[in-house]
Amino acid sequence: MSLKEILVVSKWTRRAALVGVSAAAMLLSAGASMAADVSGDLVLLNWASGSEEDMIKALETGFMKAHPGVNFKEINLAVSGDQRGAIRAALQSGEKADLFVDTWPAFRKELVDAGMLRDLSPLWDSAKLGDNLSQSWKDLGSLDGKLYGITYTFGDRSALFYKTETMKKAGIDKQPATWDDFLADFKKLNDAKVVPIAVGAKVWSHTEWFESIYEHLNGVDKAADLAAHKIPWTDDSVKNALKKWAELIKANCCGDANTMLAMDWDNASDAVFKAGTHGYQLIGMWNANIAQEQDGLKQGGDFSIVQFPAMGAGHDDVSSVDSKEFSAFSSGANPAAADTFLAWITTADAANIIAKAGLASPSNKVDTSLYGPVQSVAVDAVNKSKVQFVLGDLLPGDLVDEYRVQLQKFLQDPSDANIDAVAQAIEAKAAASY
Amino acid sequence: MTDIALDTRGSRQHPPPGLEGARLKSGTLRSWIADAPAAYLLLLPVLVLFAFAVVYPLVQTVVMSFWDIKGLGRPKFTGLGNYVTLANDLNFRRAIVTTLLWTVCTTALSVGAGWAIALLCALAPRATLVPRVFIFAAFGVSEAVTGYMWLGIFRPDAGGLLNSILSAIGAGNLSHPWLGDTNTALWCLIVAASWAQTGLPLLLIFAATQAIPRNIIEAAYVDGASHFDMMRYIIAPMSMPGVRVALFINLLSSLRAFDTIYILTAGGPVRSTETIGYFMYRESFTQFKLGYGAAATLVLLVAVLVISLPAIIQRTAGAQ
Repeated sequence: MSLKEILVVSKWTRRAALVGVSAAAMLLSAGASMAADVSGDLVLLNWASGSEEDMIKALETGFMKAHPGVNFKEINLAVSGDQRGAIRAALQSGEKADLFVDTWPAFRKELVDAGMLRDLSPLWDSAKLGDNLSQSWKDLGSLDGKLYGITYTFGDRSALFYKTETMKKAGIDKQPATWDDFLADFKKLNDAKVVPIAVGAKVWSHTEWFESIYEHLNGVDKAADLAAHKIPWTDDSVKNALKKWAELIKANCCGDANTMLAMDWDNASDAVFKAGTHGYQLIGMWNANIAQEQDGLKQGGDFSIVQFPAMGAGHDDVSSVDSKEFSAFSSGANPAAADTFLAWITTADAANIIAKAGLASPSNKVDTSLYGPVQSVAVDAVNKSKVQFVLGDLLPGDLVDEYRVQLQKFLQDPSDANIDAVAQAIEAKAAASY
Repeated sequence: MTDIALDTRGSRQHPPPGLEGARLKSGTLRSWIADAPAAYLLLLPVLVLFAFAVVYPLVQTVVMSFWDIKGLGRPKFTGLGNYVTLANDLNFRRAIVTTLLWTVCTTALSVGAGWAIALLCALAPRATLVPRVFIFAAFGVSEAVTGYMWLGIFRPDAGGLLNSILSAIGAGNLSHPWLGDTNTALWCLIVAASWAQTGLPLLLIFAATQAIPRNIIEAAYVDGASHFDMMRYIIAPMSMPGVRVALFINLLSSLRAFDTIYILTAGGPVRSTETIGYFMYRESFTQFKLGYGAAATLVLLVAVLVISLPAIIQRTAGAQ
């Protein structure tokens, strides 16, 4: 071995030793920081607004009360439209934060691929998060076996919202449990001059129908395969789901296609809760807060939800869900405080703040009596179901855009021939997107 | 200053044309050499600002257009790849057609309406002060506010003003989801954008009519011209400089349209109202394909330059 080689080897040996010692020191200090109290600024990259933002502020206040040495700071992104654009822009322009809220698994992968997120698996073990969260929530926040997000809230996306008064007007006393019951109710609603379903297809919310139908016909595993493009969009499972949706359209479910394409999800919400011109809306649980806060309706009394009707294809034990998680940036300046916060949000204190804000907490320490009647139904349904994350948030950006536009085309013409064309167009984009 | 005095003196004394030309030429050159440092020094603050606010981002955009950037992933050099993809992108081609249609129609409508109103106002300038102010005020309203206002007008439900009015006058059968129909959505947007853009042509063209010398108008009346003759042979032709400026400004503004489209239709239904500006936004800020979006931006920039450069050169070439 030449002197030069020896020097190189010794240099690498020294570096390896240094890295090893540093890692050990970090682990020790992390352990110490979890044990002792933490301090300093904890920076959150925040894009939430409205009642969601209020809830995050309440969490921050609760955490600072428990850990007075920590001072929460926020980088607020004023966002209209897709929040991911603003988050990317903030990160690329050099904003430094410890934490951020993520609700898009596809975006989580993008951040992990860019080396921006910290693996939280050691925290799961050291803070014994498994005592508060079930393995399924860990799986939901994981990618390739590593945990990158601690879920703090989730929502049922297979829930049909309705206004009690509208149903009374149509003479519907009992909510439909099966697909056939659901179709049968359309006649009653149409006779009462109520459009059975409000579909806001201006941008994205029409895709909820495809997703819930697909999962009920094919199960969550196949839905996961479709999201990962393990099966093509030209698969019969996709076409059959669209044909089933076409059944609804032919049964006069939703008014004319142009009206659907002119409505966004919030217009659809107005049509159900405010105007009462439409019967049902399939949308996320934030709609419950809108019904209460904007329309002044009382949950359980003035409005409620019913789970997506059973389709009898052997997969009626499924629910489409969304969730939100806190993730930690690898460049965060205060990882000790970030870890303490991530562990704290699974505790009873944090879970109850979330429940009081009208949202569902995945923590098994939550006081379920804090849930309102609508949220209780939703939580119960999700707990009993096999869950699948909303498909639109799992697809790559290019594809999700095409998927939404092609489903708009389907609404314009739900014929078998067009279903083939729609499936082929999505598949063409998917083939180039993965 | 000496050269200006020389030129002025020369013009007063009417020297032979050849001599005047030579004197002017050498005078201009000397003047340029003497004044250039001071001129550039005075321009420096603006040039520095321009370099930071325009040149640097533009160069960055050009550089970015040669890279394949997807989200936060590592950029890959792709040369002209983005431009080749753009050329083959059906959505982009469709956006070009939509942009052309949009630009021609909004410019024609807004300038046409502004011109017509300005000519009418020119007949009774004092009496039409209030409507002029109101129409011009629309130009001062932000595009976002305009968008939300027209969204309230075109809404498909009972809250939509247009459909409510149609129902109220017994024409409820004409009610329509205006923004959800691919046959009507773009035209609704054109009406909304034209309404917002009419104020500026009105102001510019009306100002041009007020610059018409009084003696020409009085002479025409003395010669027995009617109001119609006055409009047709005097005011309309002499308002053309204002029309040209208004056309130029509204054309550029229409090419860059985004806000109204974003709020009213989000480029839909089925991408039927997606202009290049919206395409650029979608690719850059929702897909975060920054390289691809940059390439689309540069295509739009070239289109703007092709339209604006001849006009800018024509208007500035004669400046001394």
